[in-house]
This record gives sequence, C-alpha cells and structure tokens, in this order.
Amino acid sequence: MTNLNAVDPAAVAQDAHLESADVVIGKNTIIFRRFMRNKTAVAGLAIFLALTVFSFVGGYFTEWDKQTIDPFNIGMPPSAEHYLGTSQAGIDLYAMTVEGTRISILIGLIVGLVSVLVAAVYGCTMAYFGGKVDKVMLFILEALIMMPALLVVAVATSGGGEGLRRDLPSWLLLIIVLLVFSWMGTARLIRSLSMSLMQRDFVKAAQYMGVPARRIVWRHLVPNIGSLLVLDITRGVTGAILAEVAFSFIGIGIKVPDVSLGVLIGGATSQVQTFPWMFWVPLTVMFLLTGSLAMMNDGLRDAFDPSSSSSGSAKKRTALKARVKGNAS
Amino acid sequence: MSSEIAAGPVDQPQSAVERLHVAGLHAPADAILSVRDLNVRFNTENGVVHAVRGVDFDLMPGKTLGIVGESGSGKSVTSLAIMGLLPTTAEVTGSVRLKGRELLGLSDKAMCEFRGNELAMVFQDPLSSLTPVYTVGNQIIEALTIHNPAMSKQAKEAHAVELLAMVGIPSPKERLRAFPHEFSGGMRQRVMIAIAIANNPRVLIADEPTTALDVTIQAQVLEVLHTAQEETGAAVVMITHDLGVVAGMADDIMVMYAGRPVETGAVDDIYYNPRMPYTMGLLGAVPRVDVAEKSSLVPIEGMPPNLIHAPTGCSFAPRCPLATDACLEGEPALAPVPGPAAHRAACIKSGSLGGDVDVHDVFAAPPVPVSRFDAIPREERSTVLQLKDVRKHFPLTKGALLKRRIGTVKAVDGLSFDIREGECFSIVGESGSGKTTTLLEIMEFHKDQDGEVVIGGISNKQAADGKTRSAMRRELQMVFQDPTGALDPRFTVYEVLAEPLQNAGMNKADTKKRIMELMKLVGLQPDHVNRFPNQFSGGQRQRIGIARALAVNPKLVVLDEPVSALDVSVQAGVINLLDKLRAELGLSYLLVAHDLSVVRHISNRVAVMYLGKIVEIGEVDRVFDNPRHPYTRALLSAIPVPDPQLERTRERIILQGDLPSPLGTPKGCNFATRCPVFAALPAAKQEKCLTLEPPLEQVAPSPAAQTLAAEPLPAPDQRFACFFPDGEPDEDMLVVHESAGHHAP
Repeated sequence: MTNLNAVDPAAVAQDAHLESADVVIGKNTIIFRRFMRNKTAVAGLAIFLALTVFSFVGGYFTEWDKQTIDPFNIGMPPSAEHYLGTSQAGIDLYAMTVEGTRISILIGLIVGLVSVLVAAVYGCTMAYFGGKVDKVMLFILEALIMMPALLVVAVATSGGGEGLRRDLPSWLLLIIVLLVFSWMGTARLIRSLSMSLMQRDFVKAAQYMGVPARRIVWRHLVPNIGSLLVLDITRGVTGAILAEVAFSFIGIGIKVPDVSLGVLIGGATSQVQTFPWMFWVPLTVMFLLTGSLAMMNDGLRDAFDPSSSSSGSAKKRTALKARVKGNAS
Repeated sequence: MSSEIAAGPVDQPQSAVERLHVAGLHAPADAILSVRDLNVRFNTENGVVHAVRGVDFDLMPGKTLGIVGESGSGKSVTSLAIMGLLPTTAEVTGSVRLKGRELLGLSDKAMCEFRGNELAMVFQDPLSSLTPVYTVGNQIIEALTIHNPAMSKQAKEAHAVELLAMVGIPSPKERLRAFPHEFSGGMRQRVMIAIAIANNPRVLIADEPTTALDVTIQAQVLEVLHTAQEETGAAVVMITHDLGVVAGMADDIMVMYAGRPVETGAVDDIYYNPRMPYTMGLLGAVPRVDVAEKSSLVPIEGMPPNLIHAPTGCSFAPRCPLATDACLEGEPALAPVPGPAAHRAACIKSGSLGGDVDVHDVFAAPPVPVSRFDAIPREERSTVLQLKDVRKHFPLTKGALLKRRIGTVKAVDGLSFDIREGECFSIVGESGSGKTTTLLEIMEFHKDQDGEVVIGGISNKQAADGKTRSAMRRELQMVFQDPTGALDPRFTVYEVLAEPLQNAGMNKADTKKRIMELMKLVGLQPDHVNRFPNQFSGGQRQRIGIARALAVNPKLVVLDEPVSALDVSVQAGVINLLDKLRAELGLSYLLVAHDLSVVRHISNRVAVMYLGKIVEIGEVDRVFDNPRHPYTRALLSAIPVPDPQLERTRERIILQGDLPSPLGTPKGCNFATRCPVFAALPAAKQEKCLTLEPPLEQVAPSPAAQTLAAEPLPAPDQRFACFFPDGEPDEDMLVVHESAGHHAP
C-alpha cells in the first residue's frame, strides 16, 4: 500500500514550475495594471480626485463665502478680488462653485454607494429565494420603476412635506429621494446575475454540504458580483450628479441658501448673455466631474472584462524588441 | 525549420521572405497544403507567449493528417493560423502554401477567396457555430453564393439538398427550411460539415469536431466526415485530443507538445512504435474499453511548460522520466528515427525507444491498489445506497393562464439499484438518458420524492428534520464535472476545504489539522492552502474538489463526470487517485460518465441507462465483454479504440438518428425506434417489441459452464431488458472501413 502521507511528486513539480515561472499574478494586480494601461481612465481618475480635493480645500483660498454679499462688486466679471466674478446679488462665484462642487460630489457618492448596496442585497435575496419571495419583491421593484420620480421629487422638495423640509437640509432630502428611485435597475441586473451564479457548481456544492442560505448569499454570491458592483458605483455616482443637476436646474432639487452645481447653472441660464461667467464656470465643472467619471468607468470596464484586448498586441512588442536588437547588433 | 528560431543574429541579414522562399522550395510539389516554420505569438499579462513554434507539415491530396496533443499544445492555434482567423493582435510568421500560393500575409478580404472555398473548417461546438436566426438552407446557400455568384437560385437549392442528403439528414428537402434549434447537436454538426464541403474544398480542417457530442453521435459524425472526404477528395486535417478518434481515420499523425511537433509519422508507426516518451505516455494514459485486465494508468506528471520563456532544453524534459542532463542542452530537432522514412521524433533517445519498451516501466505507473473489501463477497458487504423504484416525471404544460398538462417527460422512470461498501458503481448512457437527473434525485433527498432513496440506512421518507438530513450529508458527498466551476473563485483552498468542516461544527484547530491531512491525501502540497483556485491547473483543481468531498469522511462519493473536463495525461493521474482512495479509505463511488473506457477501468458494476430506464446492469467485465442488450452493444461499438489496425477492421454498429425525446416514449421497448436488432426482425417479432415492455431479466449461466459444474451455478451478476438479445443487427447499420479500401496501405 502506498504511503498516505507522501506528497505527490506531480504536485511538487507543478509547484516548482509555478514558482519559478511567476505565472501567478494576483487578480487585483492584473486589474490595476489594466486600468493603469488605459491613459484616458487614469486622466479621469486624476481629474476626479483633483476636483474632490478642490471642493474641500478650495474654500481656504478666498476670504469670501457663499453667503456674504459684496455690495461693491455686483455682477462683476472675474477679477483679482473675486477669482471667478460675482453674481447678480454680489456673491463670490468661486466660493459658490467650491460649495456647489462639494454638495454635488457628496450627493453623487452617497447616492451611488448606498443605492448599489441596497440593490445588491435586494437583488441577491430575490435570486436566492426565488419563487413567491421573488415575485413579491419583483412587483415592488416594478412599481417603483413605474412611479414618476420627477413628481415625487417635486412634491417632496417643494409642495408637501413641510415637516421634512424644516428638519432636513434640502440636499439631504434630495439624497433620500434620489436613493429611493435609483437602485431598481441595478437590483434587477444583480438579480439576473446572481440567478446565473446560483446555477454554478460551487453554489450547488455548498447546498449539498448543507450550508445555510444566509451564509451562501453572503459568502458566495455577493463577493462574486463584486466587479459589477464597482462598475455600478461609478455609474451610479455619475447618474446621481446628473440627476441632482437636472432637478436643481428645473427648480425642484436643492434650494437656496444651499448651493449646488445644478442651482448655479439653473440660476444663470437666463443671463448667459449678460453674465456669461455665471453660466460657463459651473457648467465646465459639471462636465469635468461627469466626464472624468465616464472616462474612469470605461477603463474599469476594460480592467474587469477578461475578454477585453487590454493586454495589447504581440506584434508591436516583438517588433519593438527586434528593432532594439537590430540597433544593438 | 524550427532550429532557425534560435539561430539569432547569424541569420539576421537573410530576410524572412528569402528564408521562407527557400523553405518553400523543399516542399513536395504535389502537396496540397504545405506549412513551413509556422510561428504564432500572443501577448498576455505575463509577457509574449510563443504559442506555436515552428510547425512544418505537408498534406497530400485526399490524405488525412491527425494533429494530437493536450490543451495548450498549439493544435487549434495552428489551424486558426492556417485559416487566417487569429485576432490581429497575434503575430504570425512562417509560410502557409495552398497549392503553391502563399496564404500568410494576405489581407482578410483576400483570405475570403480561400476560406469556405478551397479551405474549409468544421468547428468544435456545433451549438454555437450556426446562426440561430437563419434556416440551415439559408446558411448552406450563403456559402454557395459567396463563391459562386453566377449560380442560379434553383441550382443552389438543389445542391444544398444534395449536400444535406450526403451528410445523412433525412428528408433533406423539408429540413432545408428548418432552423438550427430544430436540430440536435449531432445534426447541427452534420450541417456544419455540409457547409464546409459545399464548395468542394481541397483542404478540410476539423477542429475537435466530435468532442462536444455523445459517443453514438460521434460515431455517426466521424462516418459522415469519412463519406465527405471520399466524395470531395479533400485532404483533412483532424485536430483532436482523443487518440482513439484519429486511430481509424488518419494516415499520418503529428503529436504536438508545447507548440512544437514532437513526433510525426504514419499512423501505425506512431501507435505501435512510438519513439518519443511523450507519445508513449499519451498512449499509456488512455484507458482501453476493450481490455479487462486491471493495470494502473500512466500519469504524465507535471504540466506543460510556460511558453513565455524560450525553452533552453527539451520542453518535455521536466516531465520525462528518462530525462538526463543531455536533454537540457538545447531543444532537440525533429529528426528521422530508424525505421520508416517518414517517421521523425524530437528526442535524443529516440533510437533506444520503440514498440518493445513497456510504457508502464518508463513512467513508473503506481501498483494497482487493493481494497480490504475486495476479498469479501459482495453479498456480505453492507449497503451504502439503495434506490427503490425512483421516478422523476416532469409535467409538460401548455397555455399561459390556464395550464393544461399535455404530456409527461419521464426523465427517470422506475430506477432500482444498490451500492455496497467499497465498490464503484457507474451509470452510463447518452446525454438525455437521465443519468444526471438520477444524481440530482439522490442529492436532493426530499421526503415527497417518488420512490425511496436509502443512504447509509437513512431513508428519504423519514428525512423530515434538519438533523437527519445533515447526518445524511455526512454520508454522501459529491465531486463535480467542471473543477473550475465547482470552486468559488474568491475562496482560497483553505476556505474551500474549511467550509464543510465548519458546517459540521468542527473547531478551528481541528479544522486546520484536517485540512493539512486532506491536502496530503489528494497529493497536493500542504502549503498551497493559501492559494486561489485559479492558481492551480485543471487536474489540481479536481484534486481540491475531491478533497472537499472527502472532508467530512463520507461513505459514498458521487462523481459526476469527474475527469471529462481534464486532459488525457492529467485524467490518468486523477483516475489513479480515485482508485487509490477507494482502496485505502474503503469508499464507495457512484460514477456517472459518458466515457466508457474510464468506466471500465474504474468501476466494479455498471448500469446502462436509456430514456430513464436501466436496460442492462451487472458486473462491469460481464457487461462489457458479453453485452446482451442491443443498446449496450451499440454503445460499446461506437467507442473508438486507440489501435489503428483494430479500428480499421472492426465491425461497428452505427445507430440511426438521435435519442428520441422522452416525451412520447413508445408503449413497448423504448429502444425500438433505433434498435439495430429490431430493424432486422420479422414483422411478427417486431410486434412484441412494440407492444410489450421488456423486464430486466437475469442472464442465465452459459450452457458450457453449466455442464462443467457439478451443481447448478449461481446466476451471474448481469441483467438486461430485451426480448431478442441474440438477434443479428441490421446490415445497414454495420460499417467496416477496410472494405471501402480507403485506408488500405
């Protein structure tokens, strides 16, 4: 009889092979490398980070704030005193832009993160239990999708909800309303993705081992849709920023004295001719914000997608090598 | 030649074109396709992979070249490079000449002139290679239209019908208007072949054309390929990992390893007189369906080299038991070996190897393990699993609001068998015969199942509470078919193995100890527990899957096609491991497999299933050597044997058609619609098959044995369900290749 404790020489050989040939690259390393290879995405990330930093520390570079009125400079174009000019009411635009960017990013990040989290839990639960649970939860989801979000936002932020509006700042109220209406699409996507994961053998294996349902959802399903979640967060952030801008633009989102990019853009549309800086500055910032996120998202998709051609062509590299060799010889 | 790759700066002044031109002149003038110094490189995260390194071959008109090798050996990449179908990111160099015209370097548009016209290809997966939104007629006519714009519509249609008839599709005229989803896998592969031969190609490349199909269908498709080749006179390049498939078909064989041909020659030379240890290992790693003698398989240890680094020595040396220091100095070139002129091998020791060297000695195959249960008669061992009349019927309903039951799919229909301690019981049959449903029924273990499942004395009828169920789960564990899919990619090996143990309530220290034990048990390095599944090879992943199943010390392990996703050489290692574990731990196996050679090698008893019913059951050697049911006979005869002589001369039963849908099973014998014996029976006897359902009958001991023995012999362990087991099969369904004279030397 063979010795039970003997290590299979095949495994040893394979091990030596694996170690010497450094074939093993961590998945995260690969994703990071692929992301870094996409120059546009890296630029997007840099712009986004710069804007975030700007929105937090930008306020220290000027003595003005978003409420103080400068009676000597009303509706002035950019100058040394007011970097980006002032509004009709004499408020410094730079201070307002910093504040507005911060609120927009805050709304974007909170709504993006929380809605994806809600969607993940909701979607996985639907997929795991299936049957009646799935039907009821799907009905709620469909009902929410069909609800006119615009009207609800309008009612919540201006018409009714007096008590709410008294207790909460308008940006928080908007976050809550946006959250309620932003997770359904993702949840449906996650549901279908988890349903296909449920068919995978490792979930079956866990079931046949008698692992309880909650553990399977948490340990097997959620981590395996991780890459989709990351993608959805960046997409959700963009969506939330755009929604905030849109709502504020038509006057039902953020309310003065709170400032956001949408409020600034909306307030300035009627005066594009007379005070062009009031319109173009916040619009540019918004473009930078959503544009950088879109650029990042593209790079992330490339990095996560195993079938992408992100590793590049063999032709270019060998040709380059050959040239180097040719020069050397 | 491949040696030129390493030649470096010396050859630099000579341009590649010149070099290839010279190489092209050496090609025999009458070769239809000649490939010289084909090199393919891909870029990956780890660096540039040199996937094909210097492939040379010449294909003569009407001949068949078999390219054999494990996955990753560069077989498919070679064929795609010839077809010009590689992505633009790949770098292809060398020369591919079709009738003297250079194909490499042609634009995609220029290649289209050749593709589907003089060069045609049959792909592996028939389910995805046809467009689902067009009829098959449309797709055949499309192939004709592109290369014959002047052909009239009627002529094209008539030709399409002809082609469908040639590949053996019944009522071709009507089927022309059918969509791909109305065809089965085998039928779709026939359509693919029809499209490939539509324009009378000179070269037909078949890339694993039967790997995705059942054995009976594989036999049919191989037969169709054979006819297609005879009709068109095309030269065929047959790419496969199955040495049995090419044995009967090919004239020449090229064995590839690590992107290079390591042995080439006529088929008989390769099979009977291999000169390269890798070829010998491959031949020894395949279990044979026609051999009863129990011997361990030959595992080729290790795994293929990483093609990112240029090999400094023989690429097979790290896995070769005969390797010496001399093997590490420079890659051996493909050199002629003593004997027939065309036989070449890339091994410095090829002179001392040959047909008379026993591969078991060379590769040090482990001894056959003996179980403590082997000595005990089967009747005295305790039963670990018993199925009593288990049924699984799926209702087929119609209508959206008010569902009407319009029929029943009898996936499993009255199954009874038992498994004793220490034995391996296998279920075989085509896909759709209910094998997997049977496994699922056992694994589900519900109270309201139709029929009784008893696992280790616990019946499903009393499995109401969670406690009994978890006790049952500890008796029974499962190993899955796809080792990659069965392991959570986000778990380390430690977490994978800890899951069942934690679930059984084991504490941390014990869990750790047990995991180390398990790793050693399945032959894995214990300090690999912190790695992720994607850092292991397929064979190692399957070992992890086996370790997980063994974690809770079960009595019975259910194996669902445990080796079908693995390469031949790796497969041998896993089969040997399963054999060893069964003997040492006293396990019982319930194995489901479509590969009858594997079944014969590993199991003690076997059941043949057809449309949800067992048609023959018994001891494996009895059933395989003396099959009584016509279906068992057909299944066994459909399996290609890696022995060219035998393969060419043996008589084969080719079943007609596919597995009928289990929806409208006939009243009498299920198999009557495809039965070769039934087809040859007189009408009066046919009536019996059609009206009565044959019961499982005991095989009587042979008269010769009975006369020899003094007292009445116990009935042998073999039962079958057929009224006319001794009937001669119908002439039309028998095929012998030699009579066609095609392969006569």
